[in-house]
Amino acid sequence: MNVAVCVKQIPDPAGELSLDPSTNTLVREGKLILDDSDSYGVEMALQLAESAGGGDVTLISMAPNGETSGLRTALAMGAAGAVLVSDDALAGSDALGTARVLAAVVQRIQPDLVLAATESTDGYTGTTPVQLAELLGWPSVTFAKHVEVTPDSVAVRRQTEAGYDEVTSPLPAVVTVTAGVVEPRYPSFKGIMAARSKPVEELTVSDLGIDVSRVGWAGARQEVVSVQAAEERQSGEIVTDEGDAHEKIVGYLERIKVL
Amino acid sequence: MDFRPSPEQEMLKEAVAKIAGGFGHSYFQLKAREGGKQDELWHALGDAGFLGVHLPERYGGGGMGIAELTIVCEEVAAAGCPLLLILVSPAICATLIGKFGSEEQRQRWLPPLASGEKRMAFAITEPDAGSNSHRISTTATRDGDEWRLNGTKYYISGVDEAEAVLVVARTGTDEQTGRAKLSLFVVDTDSPGFVATHIPVEIAAPEKQFTLFFDNLPLAHDRLLGTEGDGLHQVFAGLNPERLMGAAVGCGIGRYALDKAAAYARERSVWGRPIGTHQGLAHPLAEAKVEVELARLMLAKAAWSYDNDVDAGEAANMAKYAAAEAALHALDQAMQTHGGNGLASEYGLADLWGTARLLRTAPVSREMILNFVAQHSLHLPKSY
Repeated sequence: MNVAVCVKQIPDPAGELSLDPSTNTLVREGKLILDDSDSYGVEMALQLAESAGGGDVTLISMAPNGETSGLRTALAMGAAGAVLVSDDALAGSDALGTARVLAAVVQRIQPDLVLAATESTDGYTGTTPVQLAELLGWPSVTFAKHVEVTPDSVAVRRQTEAGYDEVTSPLPAVVTVTAGVVEPRYPSFKGIMAARSKPVEELTVSDLGIDVSRVGWAGARQEVVSVQAAEERQSGEIVTDEGDAHEKIVGYLERIKVL
Repeated sequence: MDFRPSPEQEMLKEAVAKIAGGFGHSYFQLKAREGGKQDELWHALGDAGFLGVHLPERYGGGGMGIAELTIVCEEVAAAGCPLLLILVSPAICATLIGKFGSEEQRQRWLPPLASGEKRMAFAITEPDAGSNSHRISTTATRDGDEWRLNGTKYYISGVDEAEAVLVVARTGTDEQTGRAKLSLFVVDTDSPGFVATHIPVEIAAPEKQFTLFFDNLPLAHDRLLGTEGDGLHQVFAGLNPERLMGAAVGCGIGRYALDKAAAYARERSVWGRPIGTHQGLAHPLAEAKVEVELARLMLAKAAWSYDNDVDAGEAANMAKYAAAEAALHALDQAMQTHGGNGLASEYGLADLWGTARLLRTAPVSREMILNFVAQHSLHLPKSY
């Protein structure tokens, strides 16, 4: 079972993030790290390949400036190799443009299954994986909280508001996994040292045969028109206990429909 | 000159920070209070191969250097759970066994030390021979094909966690100088004639200190490490790694304290603005930050020197000195920044005082470092 995992390399959320005022998009210069939400997909892929009795886990990523720091982290966890698409023409790509690039890579490496996170930590659109599946003409199953594979199908428990749906899909397919679906392993020192020599194939848009007018700023159908700072959190309401604090608190919880 | 860590060092730092961050200072506090050990953290690091990064791959190590082990040691301290046994078990004992052990001894001891499965303590200090190793009186005497060990060691860390102790003992006297001829022995902690007594100290750490008594303790011939009588020279090979790990703990505690202090000073608002706005608090924290970063720089230089066979003595001593001073200053200023909360258990600062203060005294005292620097760096007359 060969599994491909879409991984995003993002600016460290713990660091200082900024938006480019001319485009209202995230500044992605400097070192990027593996999006934490993708570590679940990597772990799931490693477990599925192992339980299927073998096969490779390949990472697929699109990032500026040939960035591989985040990929190395996932390679240290145990992925066999990575395909990185890095091209100045990709700057400004929206979710669909990104999905186009990822789809071209998937077609090139022909995995049995593609895993992705439900959404990225920096963009949060949550639309790229399903667009990827649509472009490939593959079924997609989202919000997986449990995944099992057979040689020709994937069985997923799909998180819903009320519980979960059991879904079985033929392979190949795209599955998005929720955070916490598995416990991502820590890279071992052997894994870290081995990551150095694992293959990372770097491709450009033209290597993939994609028309540059369909990606990047040129192909983006989405434009961030304006950005506003989130409203500062209001200071809370202080309840002074004059013997009736519990009633006030219950009343408040009822008003916000928690009770 | 390239000051950037390698990508592998960056990943090592991140991975250790993640593992130790999952435990955190409250874990350290709990273990220290309940008399427990940080076994879960130790084994998590060992299982991932992080306690043997500096040992050869053929003995289960990672094949890298002491620089990598300082990263591990600093990161766990920076997460608020310093592991003092890194100074002893992997840094001194495994290094010495790797350098001077026979093939059989290496195969026997290095894999379990690299994986953290076993721990080894180190015993040199004696009641009448502190920093003066020539006065060591614990004696190993030949008994046919074997040895018999007699004597006392004190302030030996982590004996209750260790399967064995690497003991420095006198095996003869140099007739010309009258000084002790020393040798190294691996002594099992369950040997007959081995008694360890806990020394109560005011340090809130899981690692305990012990006095050791050896009463005619039998040692098989294969327990002698390296060359008989060459022990002092051999021990020196393990002291630089120990000093570097001491420096790494100091740098880690300094970072931990400053992270907490800066976060508190950004959030805590008394006069309508965060208290970090006031230079009375901002400047001392900035000063402490400068000191911690300078200590880290000297630590990196010393570790690089050691790994590249450049004499690391001066840099290792300076790094240890600077890190101990920086850690204490950073911790003190972090507590001051927190006002009354600086002393509260909940804020996890004051309980590290004993550990940070220990670093000014051990593994080598501030004064012995200053003696070294005066004599070797400034060429002043030897003072002792």
